[in-house]
Amino acid sequence: MADHISTFSISHNEPTQTNNYKFDLPVDSEHKAKTLKILSFAQPHMRSFHLAWISFFTCFISTFAAAPLVPIIRDTLDLTRSDIGNAGVASVSGSIFSRLVMGVICDLVGPRYGCAVLNLLTAPVVFSIAFVSSAEGYLVVRFMIGFSLATFVSCQYWTSIMFNSSIIGTVNGVAGGWGDMGGGVTQLLMPFLFHIIKVSGATPFTAWRIAFFIPGFLHIIIGVMVLTMGQDMPDGNLSALQKKGDVAKDKFSKVLKHAVTNYRTWVFFLLYGFSMGVELCINNVIAEYFYDRFNLKLHTAGIIAATFGMANFFARPLGGYASDIAARKFGMRGRLWILWIVQTLGGVFCIWLGRASTLPIAITSMILFSIGAQAACGATYGIIPFVSRRSLGIISGLTGAGGNFGGGLIQLIFFSTTKFSTATGLTYMGIMAVACTIPVAFIHFPQWGSMFIPGSKNGKYTEESYYSSEWNEEEKEKGLHHGSLKFAENSRSERGKRQEIESAVTPPGYATPEHV
Amino acid sequence: MMAIRSSFVASIVLSCLVATCYGVTFSSLQRTLVVTASPQQGQVLKGGEDTITLTWSLNTTFPTGTDSTYHTVKFMLCYAPFSQKDRAWRRTEDNLEKDKTCQHKIVTMPYASSNNNFTWTVQKDVPTATYFVRGYVLNSHDEEVAYGQTTDSNKVNNLFQIESISGRHVSLDIASVCFSAFSVVSLFGFFFLEKRKAQASAAK
Repeated sequence: MADHISTFSISHNEPTQTNNYKFDLPVDSEHKAKTLKILSFAQPHMRSFHLAWISFFTCFISTFAAAPLVPIIRDTLDLTRSDIGNAGVASVSGSIFSRLVMGVICDLVGPRYGCAVLNLLTAPVVFSIAFVSSAEGYLVVRFMIGFSLATFVSCQYWTSIMFNSSIIGTVNGVAGGWGDMGGGVTQLLMPFLFHIIKVSGATPFTAWRIAFFIPGFLHIIIGVMVLTMGQDMPDGNLSALQKKGDVAKDKFSKVLKHAVTNYRTWVFFLLYGFSMGVELCINNVIAEYFYDRFNLKLHTAGIIAATFGMANFFARPLGGYASDIAARKFGMRGRLWILWIVQTLGGVFCIWLGRASTLPIAITSMILFSIGAQAACGATYGIIPFVSRRSLGIISGLTGAGGNFGGGLIQLIFFSTTKFSTATGLTYMGIMAVACTIPVAFIHFPQWGSMFIPGSKNGKYTEESYYSSEWNEEEKEKGLHHGSLKFAENSRSERGKRQEIESAVTPPGYATPEHV
Repeated sequence: MMAIRSSFVASIVLSCLVATCYGVTFSSLQRTLVVTASPQQGQVLKGGEDTITLTWSLNTTFPTGTDSTYHTVKFMLCYAPFSQKDRAWRRTEDNLEKDKTCQHKIVTMPYASSNNNFTWTVQKDVPTATYFVRGYVLNSHDEEVAYGQTTDSNKVNNLFQIESISGRHVSLDIASVCFSAFSVVSLFGFFFLEKRKAQASAAK
């Protein structure tokens, strides 16, 4: 095997297992990779990683592609303030529903199809911008392009399947962050494309339509790449594995029931609305805010808006990485504390941004606020893979949907009214974010604990008991829960260093060999 | 006579200085220009096709010497209040540096007190809206010193409409349909191909 140069490698300190000759990276008992080699494209782990985040990145580009071009679109279509605002809310609302559906699809047919289908069906919608000639048409197209944000779920699901839990915070953070970065890149890309096309001779009202074709092409390219080069799981594609009997086919009603009855799902639905929701909302309003409040040129305001989105490149991975580091020492409790700290800090800096009356302070507070909110997104998805194994897809989807729901709600409450200014809206939004982050304290895992309550000490509750509780006796007889057991064993790292000694003893009744 | 003249000039210079400190305000401008435009009240012009013919001259009721500092005239297409509603990016502000009422330049010409006209084809990037024409008179420092417009001070009379081009093209529509079809066909094509491969290997 060729030696890949890795500039970014994370590994968990464990006695090394014999490398399975099939895989390029060290793997655990589920064949999930234990390290992340960013510059590698090897099958299956790294290739899936890159396909996952790039497909999500493309969808962010096209969902927010209209935002920097609004000054020219509003003249083409004769839009009013409320037309523009409604289209902005619509662009993030569509995926509330589609993220739920994508969660189900991933659980049932695998992330590869989910991802490819969404990209290849979004392309026609993006191309249809050529036909839009009214405010209603504009709103419908933005709404439908917004469905594509469901690739977030397939992206995070795919990486959660491919990478071991000890580095999952970092992996999900990098994939999610680089995908979210699309919202920043598009603020620079679309005006650039528009300018080039205009210079080539097109009139402005035609040029922006042509500019939209580029994101459309990107969708087709990445969709085809996912289908031809992607693989659902480390051992192969889902349908092939299901036919061979390696992976059990699950029932939708059961998967849904275990997601919906787990209270942690709903706490995260709320929480994510105030990290990702806040971020989505800001993507739509920040350029205009700087333009109006500080009388900047639209071009300058656009660059500042892009900075907010581009901070995702390191801020979200930072949140995931911090989550993983905290987990090494303090286990799941560390992850929960990190989430609370960064999301609260994000809210505090948002309040500061709303009250900033000079440009340097506003930019400083915006950058700190973006780091806090985006790191919180990364930290959230460092915890999500542990909430459930059976219903990972739906819970991932529900949390993601919560983000969009929160985003739309926040935009409606604070930024679509003339009762108070945008600056005041930002302050209120920050206060609400701080208040709605308090529920992190209620997330409790019996085997690992919560922010203020330690986990069970006498082995009464274990990882195995938590994850097999999602299966009933009948299903356990059939052996359907073996995947969950394997995951439970690998998740013992969430106990943190202090409880490592206890974790070395496999609880009776669960005969899974620890090391090969 | 000389005293009146010199104090008049002094006040103009002073107001220029003041203006450069605070930005020229619209309310400080005198309406000394008489401007007429060819479109009738309520007429609809098509972007890229129709033309507007402007004629302008100095209002002779003003004392001679009013136009001593006038250097150039700049004509702009300005939004009527109906097209400013719910559109803060077109709002009217007294400070001309912040004013967004007039966003489309028609022509800039050297100032002459009479016998002026100009014909302008409505450009393709002018949006659908209700308009009037305003001409700003600039001094040699490019500052506004006076104005004239085709409508009254309440911007109610003599407004006309422009209908913009849609920006749509048949070639764009066709390209859109072709690429969309390609996308959908590749998805289903791939799906069926994989299904056939799976069936073939299951049959073995």
